[in-house]
Amino acid sequence: MKVPYLKAILAVLLILAVGLVLFFAFSSELADGLEKTMERGNVEEEEPFFRAPLDYGSDYFTAFLAGLVGLVLTLLLTIGLGMSVRRRNERT
Amino acid sequence: MHIPDGLMDPFLVGVGWVIAIVFVGIAIYTANKRLDERQIPVMGVLAAAVFVAQMLNFPVLGGTSGHFVGAALIAIILGPWTAMIVMLTILLVQGLVFGDGGITALGLNILNMAIVGSFVGWSVFRGLRSQNLEIAVFMASWLSIFLGAALCATELSLSYTVSGGTYGIVGTIAFPAMLGYHALIGIGEGIISTGTYVFISRVSPEVLKMPKLALFSKEEVSLQ
Repeated sequence: MKVPYLKAILAVLLILAVGLVLFFAFSSELADGLEKTMERGNVEEEEPFFRAPLDYGSDYFTAFLAGLVGLVLTLLLTIGLGMSVRRRNERT
Repeated sequence: MHIPDGLMDPFLVGVGWVIAIVFVGIAIYTANKRLDERQIPVMGVLAAAVFVAQMLNFPVLGGTSGHFVGAALIAIILGPWTAMIVMLTILLVQGLVFGDGGITALGLNILNMAIVGSFVGWSVFRGLRSQNLEIAVFMASWLSIFLGAALCATELSLSYTVSGGTYGIVGTIAFPAMLGYHALIGIGEGIISTGTYVFISRVSPEVLKMPKLALFSKEEVSLQ
């Protein structure tokens, strides 16, 4: 890969790493669009029907771990699904 | 935009499951034996990247936040059916492992984000790309969020009507709130999608030129 691209990728990663802290500082407490709509409609979120084994974490470290677990799971699951339906390349 | 358990009327929840199963079935049927092998690693990387991106909320006006959904961007890169499969795995991991989005509402969440996001993103991009690529990506992404939110508001208001107020939210609140917030969140979606698209087109343009399974299964197109 050409050097300018490596620099660009490093810059994006750096911005994301710094940005992550800012994201958590400013917006982790804020309700998202649907939650805010539920607040305005005076609807309480009910107990979930199914209790998931993990959550997204409450600080930088646990959120980082949650992200890592999710990253690996989605990667493996998607590649597994893709492999199961792929078309074999004619040349191989 | 992940719907929790117990928000929507059970009838709407059932309708969501039926639609989700039909479309996921068509997506897997369409991709089966026809999915280009070279797309598989890209599918995996996009699924992982979008999963992480969805964890990061960005603030919008009015004390609200939003997060990237990514269905439109994935559809532009991989085609609509492949994008639906990628979004399905993200929603499954979020719902089953992290409790993001109710397990009963998974059908509706697949409908609002995976199906609407992929179809709208792909169709709008194909319609506008001859004018200007960046504007096409931005509009495809913005509309994928806005129309997904409009459908979610419809589900909220139908739930309210069908259940006589036990479930959902009355339309006069649900529509302005959902559309207002997501018009703003969609701008974030558009900026992230367009930035990512431009970045990929510079660093790895061959990814964008891979043949994709188009909406109607006979068609196989290469967009750029």
